[in-house]
Amino acid sequence: MCYLIVGNCAAGINAVEGIRKLDKNGKITVISDENYPVYCRSLITDYVAGTRKKEDILYREKDFYEKNKVDLILGETVKGVDVSKKEVILQKGNPLPYNKLLIAAGASSKPLSIKGEEKHGVFGFRTLHDAEEIIKTGEKTGKAVVFGGGLIGLKAAYGLKKRGLDVLVMVKSSRLLSRTVNAEAAAILDKWFKKNGISIRTGIGPQEILGNGNVEGVLLDNGEKISVKLVIVGKGITPNISLVKDSPIKTHLGIITDEFLQTNVEGVFAAGDVAETTDMVTGTGEVNALWTAACEQGRIAGMNMVRKDKKYPGSIGANSADFFGLPFMSVGYAGEIEEGYEELTGSNDPEEYSYKRIVLKGNRLVGFTTINKIENAGVYTALIRNKADISSIRDILPEDYFDYPKVKDLLERKEGFRESISPQGEIIRIA
Amino acid sequence: MKRVFVNLDKCLGCNGCMIACAVEQSSAGDLFKAISEMPLPVSRIEVKTVDEGGSFPLQCRHCEEPYCIDACIAGAIRKDPETGLVLSDEEKCVGCWMCVMTCPFGVIRVSLLPDKKGKIAVKCDLCQDRKIPACVEACHTGALLFCEVEQFISLVSKSKGDRDVLLNSR
Amino acid sequence: MDKTKERSIDKTTQDMLQRAKELNIPTAWDRLESMLPQCGFGKLGICCRNCEMGPCKINPFSEKEQTGICGASVDTIVARNFIRMIAGGAAAHSDHGRDIIHAFMLAAKGKTDAYGIKDETKLKVLAREYNVKIDGREINEIAEELSEKFFLEFGRQHGEMKVPQRAPEKRLKLWRELGIVPRGVDREIVETMHRTVMGVDNDYKNILMHGFRTALADGWGGSMIATDLSDVLFKSPEPITAKSNLGVLSPDEVNIVVHGHEPTLSDVVVDAVRSPEMIELAKKKGAKGINLVGMCCTSSEILMRHGIPVAGNFLQQELAILTGAVDLMMVDVQCIMPALSGVASAFHTKLVTTSPKNKAPGVTHVEFKAEKAYDIAKGIVKMAIENFPNRNGNGIHIPDKSEDLVAGFTAENIYNFLGGAYRATYRPLNDAIIQGRIRGLAGVVGCNNPKIKHNYGHIEMAKELIKNDVLVVVTGCSAIADSEAGLLQPEAAVKYAGKGLREICEAVGIPPILHVGSCVDNSRILIALTNVIREGGLGEDLSDLPVAGAAPEWMSEKAVSIASYFIASGVLTVLGSPFQILGSRKVTDFLCSEAEDIVGGKFVFEGDPVKAARIMIDHIDKKRKALKLKPLMYR
Repeated sequence: MCYLIVGNCAAGINAVEGIRKLDKNGKITVISDENYPVYCRSLITDYVAGTRKKEDILYREKDFYEKNKVDLILGETVKGVDVSKKEVILQKGNPLPYNKLLIAAGASSKPLSIKGEEKHGVFGFRTLHDAEEIIKTGEKTGKAVVFGGGLIGLKAAYGLKKRGLDVLVMVKSSRLLSRTVNAEAAAILDKWFKKNGISIRTGIGPQEILGNGNVEGVLLDNGEKISVKLVIVGKGITPNISLVKDSPIKTHLGIITDEFLQTNVEGVFAAGDVAETTDMVTGTGEVNALWTAACEQGRIAGMNMVRKDKKYPGSIGANSADFFGLPFMSVGYAGEIEEGYEELTGSNDPEEYSYKRIVLKGNRLVGFTTINKIENAGVYTALIRNKADISSIRDILPEDYFDYPKVKDLLERKEGFRESISPQGEIIRIA
Repeated sequence: MKRVFVNLDKCLGCNGCMIACAVEQSSAGDLFKAISEMPLPVSRIEVKTVDEGGSFPLQCRHCEEPYCIDACIAGAIRKDPETGLVLSDEEKCVGCWMCVMTCPFGVIRVSLLPDKKGKIAVKCDLCQDRKIPACVEACHTGALLFCEVEQFISLVSKSKGDRDVLLNSR
Repeated sequence: MDKTKERSIDKTTQDMLQRAKELNIPTAWDRLESMLPQCGFGKLGICCRNCEMGPCKINPFSEKEQTGICGASVDTIVARNFIRMIAGGAAAHSDHGRDIIHAFMLAAKGKTDAYGIKDETKLKVLAREYNVKIDGREINEIAEELSEKFFLEFGRQHGEMKVPQRAPEKRLKLWRELGIVPRGVDREIVETMHRTVMGVDNDYKNILMHGFRTALADGWGGSMIATDLSDVLFKSPEPITAKSNLGVLSPDEVNIVVHGHEPTLSDVVVDAVRSPEMIELAKKKGAKGINLVGMCCTSSEILMRHGIPVAGNFLQQELAILTGAVDLMMVDVQCIMPALSGVASAFHTKLVTTSPKNKAPGVTHVEFKAEKAYDIAKGIVKMAIENFPNRNGNGIHIPDKSEDLVAGFTAENIYNFLGGAYRATYRPLNDAIIQGRIRGLAGVVGCNNPKIKHNYGHIEMAKELIKNDVLVVVTGCSAIADSEAGLLQPEAAVKYAGKGLREICEAVGIPPILHVGSCVDNSRILIALTNVIREGGLGEDLSDLPVAGAAPEWMSEKAVSIASYFIASGVLTVLGSPFQILGSRKVTDFLCSEAEDIVGGKFVFEGDPVKAARIMIDHIDKKRKALKLKPLMYR
C-alpha cells in the first residue's frame, strides 16, 4: 500500500500516526512546500514574542519521519491531482503515484487585495517563514500595523508587542473579534489590549500600501496616511484548494468531505484547514481551520485510509488563547444572540476582566465564551459535542462551581464516539 | 491500563488525596515545606461535589483518544505508547489552554511558573515514579483504588451485593 | 530486626519490639504505620470543627485566600485550635494538682488512712507565702487553711493568682503589662474554650496571648501546686539511686507496674508492697517477693521519693506487658494507651484502672478514694499476688538489661550538690555559669512519639548539650530515656560532658543530667531559674538567662502547654516536631519569631536533636554575650 499525504502540518502528521496505528509497513510519503520539519504553527506567536526559540517549536522529535518510515519531500509544490491515474502532479519533480491520497494542504493568509500589497514589509501571520521575515523587519523598525481584529490579528499584535514594538491594530468592522465573540466580551478584550499598550482603531481599513519596493506607509480608507514599515495582514485564511481545481474533487468553502473525511473521489481524503466538514453546532459545511480540528481529522482520515470505518463526528469552532496572562476561550456559537438562542451569564465582573457566557438553543448547549474563568471549560465543550439535554442543570451551568460530576449522568454514551473511562468505571463516550 | 477509580460510597471528602497530590508535586516533597513553596504546588486531583453534598474525587482519566492531545498546539501532551499514560511535557507548554478547553472531565489545572511570570497547564501523571499514586495511598477509607477497570468493577460490585453500583448509584 | 532498630535507639525496646512482631501483637509503631499518611489538614491545624456549619478546612495549596464558612481566617482557625490544645494540657496538669490538694486537705483533716504531712518545713514556707498564720497552730490546722487557699487558686475569678507572683519581679511586671497574669486556673481554661467557640475571638494575636495566660496558669499554677503539695504530702525528694528499663521486671517475684501520673495511690502502693502481710502472701503464692516498678510519670514520682525502679517511658508501656511477666498494671490518668487492654488480654496481666476519670471497657476498675487509700492499695497488691500463679512460664521474656541512675533533684536541693551545703544558696551555680565553667542550663522534657525514633531525640540532644558544658535538667519521659542510656549516672560526666561541666560533676558527685521529676515537676525548673535570678549576676529576668528548653519527642497536649508556659516565661523552646500551626504563616511567625520580642521566648521546630541542641547552645551563647559573661573556661 502506498499512502501519499500532501501537507506536513497538524493534519498530515496526525494522519501518519493514524496510518501507523493500523498499518506498520505501508509506504508513506509526505510532501510539503515549506522547508521545515513539522512545527507548531500556532507557536509562531511565541516565536515572534521571543518566548520560544525556533528549535523549541517543533511539533514532533526530529526522528519522527525515520521512526514512522516516512519519505519526506520538502520544498515541493503539488500542482494538481490526476484521480484517474492515481497520481499527483508536482511543480518540479515527476508525478507521484498513490493508492490512498490525503490532501492536507492547509490554507493561506487572505490577502488585503489592495494596491501595493506586494511590497516587502507586508506579511501574513501563518508560517515560520512569515515569522522570520516579521522578526527581521521588526528589528529595523519599532512599529507595526496589524490589519484585522480577529484572532490571527490579535495574536500577531500580542507577539509583536511582547517583542517590544509599538503596535496599532486596525479593524474594518466596529469592534474586535466580530466573528468570534459577542460585543460584551469583545469590549473586555479591547480594554485589556489597550491596557497592555496596544493601540486599536475600529471602522478603518487600508486603501493602499505606500513605498518603493519596501513598505513606507499605508494610505487608509479615510484618506489618512500613516508611516510604517511593517504591515501584518490578519484577515483570516483561505483554504489551499487550487491543487484540485482541475480534478473531479468537489469543493465549496473547502474540499468537501463525507463522514469518513473522504472526498467525493474514492481513496482521496481531505483533512485540516483545506477540508470542509460538518459543523457540529450549525449542521452545515464549514472550514473550521483549527489546529485541534486538523489533528483530529488527520488522525481519523489516516486511519480511514487504511480501513474506512472510523466516523468523524464533525468539527466545532473552538479557540483558546492567552493574551498578556489573560486566558480567553470561545467555543461553538459565540456571536450575538439571534432568535431561538438564549444566553446565560454567571457572576461576571468586566472591571476585573472576568466573564462567562453560555449560549443555549432549546435544551442544548451550543456555545460559550469565557475570559479569565477557564477551569472546567472542557465540560461545556463535551456537552456541546454530545448534544446533551441540559435542562436539568440549566441553572447551574454558568456557575463557577460547575464541573464534571454535575453532568456525569447527562453525557450520552453513543456508539462510535471516543471512549474514556470515568472514575466510577463507566465507559464515557463523547463525540 | 491501571487507573485511579473511586468508590463514591466510601469517599468522605477529607481531601487527603488532594493534599497528598500537591505534596507529591511539590519540589520539597514535604507537607510543611510544600505549603510555602513559590509557586504553590497544584494538586492534580480535586475533590468535587455531587448532589446532597457527596464528594467526588476526580483526576485525569488517561483517555484512549485524548482530546487534550489533539488540542495541544505545542505538542506538549503526548500518549506514552507503552504505558498508555497521557503525559505533559511542562517545559513545552505555552499556556494556551486549548487542553483545558477540550478536556471533558475538567481535570487539567493551571499552575504558575516558578518565576510567576506565566502559567502552564498541569495534569495527573498517575505518579509515574511511584508504585501506587500518592492520592490512592493517602486515601484512608479505601475509596480510591488503583487498578484495572475490570478489577474495580468486580471489587465494587462485591462490596455492594447486587446493587447496580456502576451507574451512578448516588 | 531492621524495622525494630529504626523504631528505637534502646536495645531493650528493640528486643521487645521483635517479640511483639513474633507474637503478632501490634504496638503504637504499627498503628502509626497504618495511619499513614496522616491528615495534612490536621497536621497544619487548618481544620475547624468548632461548629456544625463546618467542618471547614482551608486549602493550603490555594493561591486564593480562603476562610471558614463563618469567615474565620486560617490564622484564627490555627490559633483557636492551638490554644485549645494548651487548654487540654493545662487542664490535665492542673486537675492532677487539684487531686493532690484534695488528698492534702483530707490529710489535714485526718480523714485518710494513708496520708500525713511529711515535709513540715515546706508546708511552713508555703503557709508564709499564703499568709496562713503559723505561730501557735497545729500543723494540721495550718494545712487545712492552706488547702483552701490552694483550691482558691483554681476557682479565683478576678485579681491575680498567687503562685505566679513567685516569678522574678521584672517578669511579673511584663505579664501585668501584657495582661496575661492568670486569674484562676479554671477561669483561664474556661475562657479558652469560650473564646474559641464559633463567633468569638478572631484576632489571632489576642487568641494566642490568652493561650499564654492559660499556659501560665498551668506552669505557674496547677503544675506548681501539684509539685509543692506532693512534696509536702509525700516528702521532698532527695538524691537517690535506682535502676531503669524493662530489665527491672523480676522473673520470680510478683511484678506490679504503676503507670500514669499521680503519686496519690502509687505512693501508698509503695507502703503496701513493703508490708510483711503482703510479702508473706506473695511467698505463699510461690513468688520470692513483690517487685514494684513504675512507668511514665507515676514512676518518676515514686522514684524520686522512694527509689522505686523505672520500667520504662511512654512507648514502653505496651512492651512491659509483652514481657508476660507483669502480674498487674495499675493505671491512673494521662498517657495511658487505650491499647493496653488489648495487649493485656493476650497475657495473664491484670490491668486495673483506678481513677473515676479513666475507665476502659472490660478492664477491672478499683476506684481510688483518698480516704481509704491504703486499703485500696492493699487490695490491688493482693490482686497482683493472686494473679502470679496464672503466669505462663514459657511465655515470659524479660530483657536482661537495666541501668543504674541517680534521681531526686529539686529546686530546693540542687544547691547542696553544687558546693553550698551550709547555706541555701545558688551562688556556686551562678558562679559556675558566670565564670564560664558551665555554659548554661537546658531543660529537656516531654514525651515519646513513634514518629521519632524512640529515645533518640532525648538522648542525642542531652549528649550534645552536656558535651558543650550545658547542665541539663530533665523530667518525665525524657528523664527516663536518659536513664536508660546510663546518662543519669555520675560517670556519664566523665564519658560525655565537656571539661567544665565534668569538673563540677566530679567535684560534687552528680550526673551531668539532673532528673527533677515528673512532667508536672517542670515547675521545679521555673523555680530553679527564678532562684538563679534572685541569686544575682545573671540578669533580672528569666529571658536574660543563658538557658533553653526542649521537648524533642513531644506528643501530648500537655507538652503544648508546657512549651507555651516556657516561652511565655521567656525561655526559647525547641520542639522535635512542629506544633499543628504551620498552616498559618502569621501564627507561625508570631510564635516562632515575634513572641520573642513580646514575652522573651519563642518556639523553634527542629527534628534533628543534634541540630536542635546546636540551636539551644547558640541561644545560650547569645544570652551569655548579652550578659557580658566571660568566655567559656575551656574553649
